[in-house]
Amino acid sequence: MEEPKTWLHFLYVKHMLPEWLPEAVPVTWVVILIICAGVIAMSGRWKTRLPGRYQAFLEFVVVSLDNFVRSIVGDEAKTLTPIIGSFFIFILLLSLFGLIPGFVSPTANINTTVALALVAFVIVQYYAITRLGFVNYIKHFLGEPLWLAPLMFPIHVIGELARPLSLALRLFGNIFGEDLVIAVLMLIVMRLLGNALIPIQFPMMLFAIFTSFIQALVFAMLVGIYIAVALAEHSESH
Amino acid sequence: MGYLIALVIAIGFGVPIAVIGGGLGQGKAVASALEAMARQPEAAPKLQLAMIIGLAFIESLVIYALVIALIMLFTGVPSAGVLLKTLVK
Repeated sequence: MEEPKTWLHFLYVKHMLPEWLPEAVPVTWVVILIICAGVIAMSGRWKTRLPGRYQAFLEFVVVSLDNFVRSIVGDEAKTLTPIIGSFFIFILLLSLFGLIPGFVSPTANINTTVALALVAFVIVQYYAITRLGFVNYIKHFLGEPLWLAPLMFPIHVIGELARPLSLALRLFGNIFGEDLVIAVLMLIVMRLLGNALIPIQFPMMLFAIFTSFIQALVFAMLVGIYIAVALAEHSESH
Repeated sequence: MGYLIALVIAIGFGVPIAVIGGGLGQGKAVASALEAMARQPEAAPKLQLAMIIGLAFIESLVIYALVIALIMLFTGVPSAGVLLKTLVK
């Protein structure tokens, strides 16, 4: 399928970006800028009493994410809430951006989802290795009866590698499938009714909002569960 | 031309079979969640959250089949002859 043109296509026309870069990458930059601007707008204006509406909204978001992470991980939520919360907010905003006319969802591109899954994989392995210690980490792969190790080790490794793959494919398939359904509905109406601009894809866009939210939640929750499982090995072995 | 027909038949039968499995699984999950919610209505928000997350997991298996179908449709799977020729070279 040919690449759709977004509002940021002028960056390619003016030769600021190479031709082979997908349109999703400048859109990712725009989302990052929006998140940073939304947070920096609150800097130095934090009130402990009588918070303004925007501060109350930010507090609501952070406290909900903290409760959610606490229900998964338990006590480690102090260090883990930023990571899992960032995954959730980032993926949610990336997926919702595709519904704005003139933009694409970066998560509808397999590159973005694989990058996110790789980052999640590195984070989980980092937590596992720093909490368990490298020797215990390898021993966890070998399984319980030690003479079954040549069988258990490949199974565990493949299971471990299948997790980021499933994360990437789940997010990509859901978001790209939703966008494809919206595009196909628009195409059907336009081809059958002679370029009539009837917004028949609007219910699908509402459903796409719901799906983006659920998929961001599932991604963040899965990362939290993988870290929690890795940390639980640590407390079990004591 | 025959390749396209075979591709369409493969995808047209492959993806709906995956959807059958996904539909059955999700039906079972929602049925047990609804039964538990009817048994104990005060636990309904927790059950609803767990149900939605479980549905997302089951749906992701169907999405894997869809991703394979999309790969076959859009980037194309070479026929056996072309594949063998590139491997031999």
